[in-house]
Order: sequence, then C-alpha cells, then structure tokens
Amino acid sequence: MDRRESIKNILLGSIGSSVLLESCVSLDKEVLDKIWEYQYGRTPEEKERDEKFLNSKFFNENELKTIEKIANIILPPNEIGNINDAGVVEMFEFIAKDWSTPAHNNYGEKVLRRGVIVFDQLCTEKFGLKLLDCSESQIKLLFDEISYEDKSLKDQKESVKLFATFRGMVVTGYFTSEIGIKDLGYKGNTPNVWDGVPNDVLEQYKGIVSYDKEWIDKCIDQSKRGEIAEWDEEGNLLT
Amino acid sequence: MEIINNSKEYDVIVVGSGAGGGMATKILSDAGLKIAVVEAGPYFDPANPDQMTQLKWPWESPRRGSGTTRAFGDFHMSYGDWEVDGEPYTVEKDTSFRWWRSRMLGGRTNHWGRISLRFGPKDFKSKDYDGLGENWPISYDDIKPYYDKLDKLIGVFGTKENIFNEPDGFFLPPPKPRLHELFYIKGARKSGVTVIPSRLSILTKRINNTRGVCFYCGQCDRSCSAYADFSSSSCYVIPSLKGGMVDLYTNSMVIEVKTDKNGRATGVSYINKDNGREYSIKGKVVVLAASACSSARILLNSKSKAHPNGLGNSSNLIGKYLHDTTGAGRTVFIPDLINRKTYNEDGVGGMHVYSPWWLDNKKLDFPRGYHIEIGRSFTMPEYGFGYNPNEFNKFFGLKVGGYGDKLRQDVKKYYGSTIGLSGRGEAIPREDNYCEIDPNTKDKWGVPVLKFRYKWSDYELKQAKHMHDTFEELAYNMGGIALGNKPTKEQKYGISAPGEIIHEVGTTRMGDDPYKSVVNKYERLHDVDNVFVVDAGPFVSQADKNPTWTIMALSWRTSEYIIDQLKKQNI
Repeated sequence: MDRRESIKNILLGSIGSSVLLESCVSLDKEVLDKIWEYQYGRTPEEKERDEKFLNSKFFNENELKTIEKIANIILPPNEIGNINDAGVVEMFEFIAKDWSTPAHNNYGEKVLRRGVIVFDQLCTEKFGLKLLDCSESQIKLLFDEISYEDKSLKDQKESVKLFATFRGMVVTGYFTSEIGIKDLGYKGNTPNVWDGVPNDVLEQYKGIVSYDKEWIDKCIDQSKRGEIAEWDEEGNLLT
Repeated sequence: MEIINNSKEYDVIVVGSGAGGGMATKILSDAGLKIAVVEAGPYFDPANPDQMTQLKWPWESPRRGSGTTRAFGDFHMSYGDWEVDGEPYTVEKDTSFRWWRSRMLGGRTNHWGRISLRFGPKDFKSKDYDGLGENWPISYDDIKPYYDKLDKLIGVFGTKENIFNEPDGFFLPPPKPRLHELFYIKGARKSGVTVIPSRLSILTKRINNTRGVCFYCGQCDRSCSAYADFSSSSCYVIPSLKGGMVDLYTNSMVIEVKTDKNGRATGVSYINKDNGREYSIKGKVVVLAASACSSARILLNSKSKAHPNGLGNSSNLIGKYLHDTTGAGRTVFIPDLINRKTYNEDGVGGMHVYSPWWLDNKKLDFPRGYHIEIGRSFTMPEYGFGYNPNEFNKFFGLKVGGYGDKLRQDVKKYYGSTIGLSGRGEAIPREDNYCEIDPNTKDKWGVPVLKFRYKWSDYELKQAKHMHDTFEELAYNMGGIALGNKPTKEQKYGISAPGEIIHEVGTTRMGDDPYKSVVNKYERLHDVDNVFVVDAGPFVSQADKNPTWTIMALSWRTSEYIIDQLKKQNI
C-alpha cells in the first residue's frame, strides 16, 4: 500500500473505518513514522506537530463524506483521476486541525465545519434532506445559487463566502496533488537544462514577442556549462 | 546563573554564520587563525536529505506547502520567520516593523533571492547628490577589489552593461529569458525603462570542482543540494569546517560580549539552547555577524563599567538609522498568455531579467531610486493555488465563480497568464527610526529583547506611488492589465511595512567621526579595538541594491584587516 493509499484509508475509513483510526493513536512512534511517510525535511518540532495532527480526528464520518461529495461536484472525476485520488478530503481534515488555533481564527471549526452545517441546512430547507442524502442534481441546484459572488455587494451571504472557501480548498487540494499537477500540465520540478522558450511556442507568439539576437548572444551556451569559468582582467569570460 | 567557562582561547570568535559571518569564517580560517563560530540555530546542510525540501512535491506535505509553520511555505528554507518561538520583539505604538530571523547554519542566505548587485560609485556618496543622509567613509574604489574577488569565488551571472551606477563584474553568462519575461522586455522598452539580464549568484556554469551547476528547478529559496546557488552554509562554513581551524557551536545564542576592566573584549557568553545553560568562550577578537538588529541587541546588552551604555555605544547611535528597502508590488494579467502550452519553464530561482534604476531624481519629487524585479505564475502549484480560479473572466464579460468542469477549464486557461512586478527602493536613513532594548520584555532565556520604532517618511511614500505609476504604464505596454486598484495615499501607496523586504541595515553605522557613527571604515567599533561588526549593521545607506553582496565584500575587507592587525600584534 503506498503512502497516500494508507492515509486515505485511515482518514476516510474506506477499509473499515474509524476503528483503525482510533487504534492508530495507540501505535508506537516507530510504526507511525512508517505509516506517515511525509518526508519533506521537517525539523523535530515540525515533525511533532504533523504527527499530532495526523494521529487525531477532527471531522466525523458524515462530515468527511459530505466534504467528499461537495468536492466531487466542484471538480468532477475525469480520465486523469478524482478527488479521492487527489487526497482532497485528507487535506481538509489536516488543515482543519493545522489551522485550529486562535491565529487562524479557529478555521477548522468556524469555517470548515461551519460550511458543512450551512450546506446541510440549505439542503434541508430546499429539499428536506441532508446534503449527503440529496441527489447530485439537487446539490447542483443549490450550488448554482451560491457559487457566484457578486463583488458589488458589500456583504456577501455567509453561504456564498463559505462556498468560495470550499471551492478554494478543493481547487488547491486537487491541483497540488499528483494527478492535479498532471491535469494542469505543469512539467517542472525536475532537473533539466533551460535553453530558452521552445521553438514551437516562440512560433506561436511570432509578431507579439521574440528573442533578439543581441540579448541571446550574451546568454549561456549550455554546451559549455561544465567548463570551469575563467576570465581575463577585464572580466571577459574566456571559457 | 552559573556560567560555564571554556578555557580555550580562540584567535577570533565569529557570532553568526550568515553572509557576513560565513565570509569572515572562510577568510580568517584560510589564513590559519583559530576560529569559533557561534550560531543561534541548528546545523544545516542543503545537501542533507533529512533537511532537504528541494524537488519535493506539494503533496509530500500534508498541508500542501501552506505557511503554517514556515511563513513562506513548508518548503521554504528558513528555520524561523517573522516570529521565533520564545524570542519575541516589540514595536512602539503607531509604528511598525517586521523582523525576519533565520536560526540555522548559513542564516538567511539559505532562503534569499540570490540577487547579487554591487553598490555603485554614487551609492557610497549619495549625500553629495541630494544632501540627504550621510556619505560612506569609503568609496566604490575601496570595495571594488572585494566585489571582484567575490564574483570569482562565489559566481554570479549577469552581463556587462556599462551603466555608471550599476558596476559590471566578473559574470557567468545569464540564462535566456522566459516567455513572460519577453513580454516584460517589450513593455519596458516601450516605456523607456532600462531592462537587462538579472544578476544572481547561481551557477549557470561550473566555477570549481566542489560545487554543482544549476539544474533549473527554480527553487533557490529551498537552498540547493548541489550547492549551485550561494548559501553561506554550503559555500563558506561547511567547507571551512574541513580545514580544522574552525569550531562550530550550534544552538548557541550569544547574549553579550565580555570585556575586561579596560573595556576590551575578552570573549562572548552564550546560551546553549539544548540545556538552557550559559557558557562563555574566550577570543582575542570578536566579530559580530548576528544580523544588523541582533548584533545591535548583543552590543546594547553588553553593559559594563567601561561601557555603561552598551558596548561601543558612546555615540548613543547603536540601533539608530535602522532602514529597510522600500517595496511595492502589482500583478499584471496578460491576455496573450491565456491557454498557454505548458512546458518546463522553472529556470533559475528568480527572475532572468530585471530593471535597474533608470531615472534622474532631479526631475522627480522623491530622492533615490528603485529597481524592478519580475515574478511569474507559471510555477509549481502550492497551497493557495486556484483560490480565485477564474477571476479574470470579468475581463471577458464572463461569470466569475461556479464549479464543475467549466471551473477546471478556467483554471488551466489562466495558468501562467500573470506577471508579478515588484519595486525595491532605497529609503533615507533617519536617526528616529531605530531599535532599542525594551526594558520590560525578556525572551525565554531571560535576555532583554528589542523594541522597534519605524515610520516611513514622505520620501519613501512618494517612491512607492511612483512604482505603481510605472507598473501601470508597464502593464499597458506589455499588452496587459494591472490588477486591483492603484493604492491611494490613505493606503500609503501600497508600501511594504518596514522590515518586510528583509533588508534591514544601518544599526551600527560606519563613519570616520566617532560621535556620528559606531564603527570605523574597517567595521571596527570606535570604542574598542578588538570588536568588529560584519553584517549589514555598518551600512550608512543601502542603495536600492540587495545588501548581501556588499555585506560580503565588506566582511572580506574587514577580515583581511583583522589578519593584518593580528600579524602586526596591534590587537
């Protein structure tokens, strides 16, 4: 099981649940380190904070499923993947705890959990059902009403603000995931040799912008990047 | 509290391991002197896999890189930011200051923008041009040989441009501009704004056999594991440790410089943060490089019979003339850049082109200049990406907001269609902008902390206003739209809060007159012959140039002076 799978399973309870989640609290640190393979250069203090949050629970099952359902409508699955593959719900769960300090104005409680409550209330008013029990088309009817902000209004409705926040979280969560980055088409974060804008792209912008020879002549000749730099006394590069 | 004394005596104690301290450590230890480097943070090596964040993906962080524990995001390489646990600072009412501290080997050189600009001839003698502030006691010619040596030792890319106040150096060739930078070049030329290749200390070409060459991940702010960017950790301190002349004390926060009954320095005392106990070490010479404000704090806290006011403070000027670079920024939306083909455009960590100051102040209503830095948005997404996924729909009469596949398409459509413009300008140093010891607040070790008092004057505000006027003209000439409204006078023209550009300098300023300055032209305290300050404290003014290259050139010059004085047994 890869790291993301295990996190997903634990937080979403898809392999049985909160029982596993609760049992994890009693696992010793060594095991936890293995489960939570977030290796991204943390200091000991940062690591401790992450572990604390990864091993506690903020949302209940219903709330998590509600968030999952909302997220799947904000960004529906496509051929590349879906909200679950992108770990969006796990991110909600983590941020809810990570930002549950007064400095973040108790974001988890006041914004994220509040969102679930408000969306549930609106569904109940409209359809007599909790959001989870509504059909996708019913939920879309609601979202059509609250997903467009009118910036000319001074006071946005709470539901509109909360939707914007949920949408922001979902879009961020999706596009910062492995599949989201693939979907977006970002091609970097890997060793390479930059030698200018690709020719086919330059071709596309012909008449708008282009390289001028004088500028390019001063730039690095990438075939000589491995040769040790030497200069004359005037600072002219010799190699 | 009992102080644990170390009987060993060093030739030189260097306090802090950032740009100034690292430079001094290298030069002094290469000369065969026995050095103690005392660093307030932990050991850090950009190549250590346990500390590395370079080439990590956003999903490798459970918060997707959000800035909860590191203000500039999870992957940013700075231990400590605007706040350091247990080590507060205070700010006088109705004034503001933000103080960034990186507590780690190499300090802030691990995260900085690598913008490596020389001060020009004018920058050392600004008072001659506008009557404001003070001239430096040295000139460009005094420091030029050190800039030259620095270029060759560390490596900086750039181009010879023959601009009087933007001196050329020994440059590596720059990388080719990115696509959005071509839009900037076009807009700048139309606007009559000078635009040239940027000057960054990143190795586009090999400089020696110990450091790697840039592999274009664009992540210098994460510190390079191949040592292809300049960090004091990777380029100075870590190599110096191999020479056997350097003892490194980490997690050791210096509290004060110890003096004898004649007032000369005998060493320093520090708190070992691992056990909370106080220690002292002895040295013939003390070199402070804890950062402009931290060094000021150490000196002000070093009170003795001989120095009742704090060490080196007979002028009462320590902490005064604190100044930071001015900053203002604007994002420009370029409709020509929507629906871009994606390809790897990471490039080096930072801009490939920039605009040095291009105008004559005689025709302007503010003194001193600013340069323009160019940012990009065609970058790896991190937390925060997509919060306004289709705001630009408004420019096309389309609905903003919504959800579903249409939203997904909008995100892709606008990805990489904005350019960030940032002005970075020179402030006028003032005696009434300062840091001092707050008598009422102590850090968790019981050491009195700094209190700041800082206000921008009309000079800086007018400069920020000019920046926004320029941004709007540039935006128009790039074929783009400057986003948001131009900040008003009431909004202080959008100027950054003092300290926010993280270029704070001037707290122990340099001069020939001991009544008007704290250190002499060799960065030695006027009051004591064996204490030097080699961070940005001695800056008399800071030009609109990022301070690091000048901190290091001065530190090199000072280190040679120390070697010479020790040889002559003058200290």
